[in-house]
Amino acid sequence: MSKQEIKLLTKIIRELSLYMLMHGYRKFSLTTEYGQSETRFLLKVQGLEESLKNHIKEKVNREREIEVETYGWELVGDVDSHSELEILGLLVDYVEISEDGEDTVLTFVRKSMYKEKK
Amino acid sequence: MTKILMKPRIALIVMFVLLFSMAFYFDDVSTIYHGYIAILRSPSVLISDYLEIGGLGATLFNVATILLINVVMISYLKMKMSGPVFAGILTIAGFSFFGKNIFNTIPIYIGIYIYARMQSLDFKSFFIVVLFSTGISPIVSFMIFGVGWADWFGLSPFWNYWIGVPAGVVLGLITGFVLPAFGAHTIRFHKGYNLYNIGFALGVLSMLFSALLRSFHFIDLDQGGPTSEAFHSELLLLTIVLSLVFIAIAYVNDLQVHKKYWSLMKSSGRLVSDYIRDYGRSVSMLNVGVLGIMCVIILWVLNFEINGPIMGGILTVMGFGSFGKHPRNCLPVMFGAYLAVVLTDHSFDGIGMMTALLFVTAVAPIAGRYGVLIGVLAGFIHVVITPLALVFQEGGFNLYNNGFAAGFVAALMIPFLEAITKNNGEEEEEQ
Repeated sequence: MSKQEIKLLTKIIRELSLYMLMHGYRKFSLTTEYGQSETRFLLKVQGLEESLKNHIKEKVNREREIEVETYGWELVGDVDSHSELEILGLLVDYVEISEDGEDTVLTFVRKSMYKEKK
Repeated sequence: MTKILMKPRIALIVMFVLLFSMAFYFDDVSTIYHGYIAILRSPSVLISDYLEIGGLGATLFNVATILLINVVMISYLKMKMSGPVFAGILTIAGFSFFGKNIFNTIPIYIGIYIYARMQSLDFKSFFIVVLFSTGISPIVSFMIFGVGWADWFGLSPFWNYWIGVPAGVVLGLITGFVLPAFGAHTIRFHKGYNLYNIGFALGVLSMLFSALLRSFHFIDLDQGGPTSEAFHSELLLLTIVLSLVFIAIAYVNDLQVHKKYWSLMKSSGRLVSDYIRDYGRSVSMLNVGVLGIMCVIILWVLNFEINGPIMGGILTVMGFGSFGKHPRNCLPVMFGAYLAVVLTDHSFDGIGMMTALLFVTAVAPIAGRYGVLIGVLAGFIHVVITPLALVFQEGGFNLYNNGFAAGFVAALMIPFLEAITKNNGEEEEEQ
């Protein structure tokens, strides 16, 4: 994994954490699973509002644009507004939402698009 | 059929045909040829109005060819016409009226290509940087045509090119090579509230080049020339026609497009806002056309005549209609800029303030995010900072001088605004 990719993944973790905290969620867990073809971020949160689920889906499920990603990735994790996730949507391919009892599990998937350096 | 017509790429091809036809309508082949050679051989530093240097036909030919090359490159790389790409293309076209030409842009592109290869990344993943990188292209022309190497070394004029061409090309390659990483870094400085982020990065590099060249004491760094207002009517007509073409394309696709326009106008415009992706092509093209008409009205009210740099400003404002600008966030900063000029020692007699009134829209996201009054203040600060920014970049190698100034405006204002915003900056929902 390149140094830039590591930085980028940590910024995604930061943005997701900030987003939850800024929306008043104080109890959530975030697990990262790094694989060769994709990285998955599993965010487990209790009692996630329906409107927030829709907002996340809308922002994240848009098409990824690699040229925008290389240009603006440094801004990820610098949330100053409840309605952000704009740039996160450029870095994550899609989000799957499932329910686990009272918890909502959001799985953000980022596919590897960069060639690994030999 | 409508699916084809709605594509922004088609609008750009229409623009190319229009520019190319106008070039040969206004001038004959010989005039265009000689004017074009004069453009290619000019140092191209701020402010080199190609209308003054090469005439209308040659300038339009220069703009058309640069436009065509970039559109072809996008097609060759199989890139989507996203908002940033569209903005980059129109910005390049705009600055081809005063500083960019085929000769001085290519080395920078190659520098970025080499960087991409060394990073094992696709060249197209840096395409936004590629499009905006040529703001510093005058450094290439200046090293070749502006230094006068032979005089300095006491050689025959023949050596001007033998030393100048490698020097210009190498400096262009180095600039292109360092820019992708540097541009990604500078975006944090202003937190995405300066739409001309690469302009800020180029300003820092330009400052370095100016300092180095000045240190050698042998180079005259003030080589800007006069502007030409002789083609005001033709360029005004071109702007109106282009704006109407974009508006027509929007309506051909969607007769109800104006009903969706408000959702776009509620966005802050902060980087990285891709309006084509977020709001659709029709709404974006309507916004581009409306911004063009807005510029025409402002120029008419203030009685400005269009020259190369002003035309560049208009096309840049229009281009960013797909990448962060709309009338709601532009007008407050423009009004702030206007106030700064009329309330201070500045005046609209010089080209600097006239162009600042258009390029101040780099800080439009500040108005989009924090409201009209803060936007007016941002515009005001921008205008008082811009002349200072030029001092740091003596020599005029960075065509995006306003982008350099805008970076400081945003960096000054945003941390404070973020700190005092009570609700952590909750803004209106954008959709």
